[in-house]
Amino acid sequence: MDAAVVAEDLAYAYGELVAVDGVSFAVAPGEVFGVLGPNGAGKSTTIKLLTGQLTPAAGRVAVLGLDGVADRAAIQARIGVCFEEKNVYPNLSARENLRFFGRLFGIRELDVDALLARVGLSERGGDRVSGYSKGMRQRLMVARALVNAPDVLFLDEPTDGLDPVSARTIRRLIRDEAARGAAVLLTTHDMYEADELADRVAFIDTGRILAMDAPEELKLRHGTRSVRVRLRGAGGIEEQVISLDGDGDTDLLADLVGRPEVLTIHTEEATLEDVFVAFAGRGLT
Amino acid sequence: MSARRGIVAAILAKDLRAFARDRFYVSVSLLGLVAYVLLFWLLPATVEETVPLGVRLEGAGPVLTGLAGAADGLDVVAFDDAVALETAVAAGDEVVAGLDFPPGFLADVAAGAPTTVRVLLPADAPEELRPALTALVRELAYLVAGETPPVTVPAVDEAIVGTDRAGAQVSLREQLRPLLVFLVLLVEMFALASLIAAEIHQRTITAILVTPARVSDVLAAKSLLGTGLAFGQALLILLATGTFVRGWTILAVALLLGSVLVTGMAMIAGSLGRDFIGIVFWSALFMIPLTVPAFSVLFPGSAAAWVQALPTYGLVRVIVGVTAYGDGWSQVGADLAVLAGWCLVAFAVGVVVLRRRVARV
Repeated sequence: MDAAVVAEDLAYAYGELVAVDGVSFAVAPGEVFGVLGPNGAGKSTTIKLLTGQLTPAAGRVAVLGLDGVADRAAIQARIGVCFEEKNVYPNLSARENLRFFGRLFGIRELDVDALLARVGLSERGGDRVSGYSKGMRQRLMVARALVNAPDVLFLDEPTDGLDPVSARTIRRLIRDEAARGAAVLLTTHDMYEADELADRVAFIDTGRILAMDAPEELKLRHGTRSVRVRLRGAGGIEEQVISLDGDGDTDLLADLVGRPEVLTIHTEEATLEDVFVAFAGRGLT
Repeated sequence: MSARRGIVAAILAKDLRAFARDRFYVSVSLLGLVAYVLLFWLLPATVEETVPLGVRLEGAGPVLTGLAGAADGLDVVAFDDAVALETAVAAGDEVVAGLDFPPGFLADVAAGAPTTVRVLLPADAPEELRPALTALVRELAYLVAGETPPVTVPAVDEAIVGTDRAGAQVSLREQLRPLLVFLVLLVEMFALASLIAAEIHQRTITAILVTPARVSDVLAAKSLLGTGLAFGQALLILLATGTFVRGWTILAVALLLGSVLVTGMAMIAGSLGRDFIGIVFWSALFMIPLTVPAFSVLFPGSAAAWVQALPTYGLVRVIVGVTAYGDGWSQVGADLAVLAGWCLVAFAVGVVVLRRRVARV
């Protein structure tokens, strides 16, 4: 199947500051692709390049088989974008916001109620957005990105700073959209979100992709595996961390299993953050 | 409806809704309209062309009548008491100046004896009033003495160039009309600048520009909104002040050009202003010089060359020419052409500045 989004050797700089430097990846239809990196890593600039907000200084963008620069208008008719900043119209209601964006896509009979229901805003759809909480605004922004039933969905930090309920609503929507067949590209610095949602992730730092694969693969290949054993010893409860990667440690684990003083045994796998640190030499925040 | 027109219409409708929900601008616009119209109708519609002069001269009824007849437009108000005359001059309601003749003035003048007349002037009396009153006193002295001035007064052949406005001067109400139109235009300029600035700083413009909408659609919608708001309200105020009796087509064209002019400037102010204070600053920077020509109508004399060079001078000239002097296309054509030129410049600069600003968001 043809990729929905292709980025080839993308580069962009704000004056002297290089924001994106040789970024390449492809996202398939129905795939959730996470771009993971700390603030200032180049995630938002990458989205701007892919959505036609910026023109690449070098490299190529293709979305839905269309050229990112020459066919910008045709691409923008088929994508949905959720921005990091809460750029909705505060003096309009959620319904009016959605209807307005629907009309920009040439949709005169938009099913606003269905969209509001999907993001849990049915009750407050008629209220002005100026009275909304941050989570409600974010949910409205996601609903706005869906007005044209996009073939590609770009989500820039969609759950940043949200309460757990709002974040869960948005994550469910992302899964639904991918299940519908939309390619979803989301940026985040939340490793758990990326781990939970993304089919593949790309680690990005200082404008470069450091690694790219399925989260599970990255963790297995680049993280460490261990088992944490709690046991009752002479001085009270003790803990032992046994690496599953080191020679001989598995023998120690086998020796411990079945002994009466063992209280609990937990397997521990590397997190995406551990893997990111291994690549970038610094954390995600 | 084509896709492009549909997008422009959608942005326009959204902006109108946002404007209608902005209590500040709606209040300012509505209150302004009502206040300006009220002010217009409260101002005098005619110009008082007689000069009321207070005179205290004992036993001189016939002389006073003669005095009134001696000068055109002089309205003599007799006073019996010097203090009452001084009070009236100071108040300035009843008389603009006073002549306080001493007791026995008539007899002294008739006998050729020296005497002094007190000329009472208010603190804000124009400089030229003093010699005029002195001349009047002298004329009165000749009148009382029953003599003619010791010179042969040359005949005067008075020629009025243009329309003789004697008895039909331009009233304060009519002089104020261009200023009222300007205030409306400028409030709408400020409102549009705020809408543009909000669109940029709330970054809603970026959300619009990742849809099929283009920068040109946004510019078209903002231009239509700004011109429409300014033109509509300027039209309303001219209608409410009974201006569209004659030359309404010329006035409509002039207002439309004026609205385009302020729309261009609103685009510049909205692009440059980063917050409310910034918008106020940039708007004021345009508003103050633009209003000067409207003030120049309020004061006698022709406008200075630099005032005539201001973009809005042509608009003021057209409004005054049509409403006060009944000018037609041939008289105001040149002013309209200059105004149209300024519109093009302001609008082109506004579009360029806004386009560049949007591209940087």
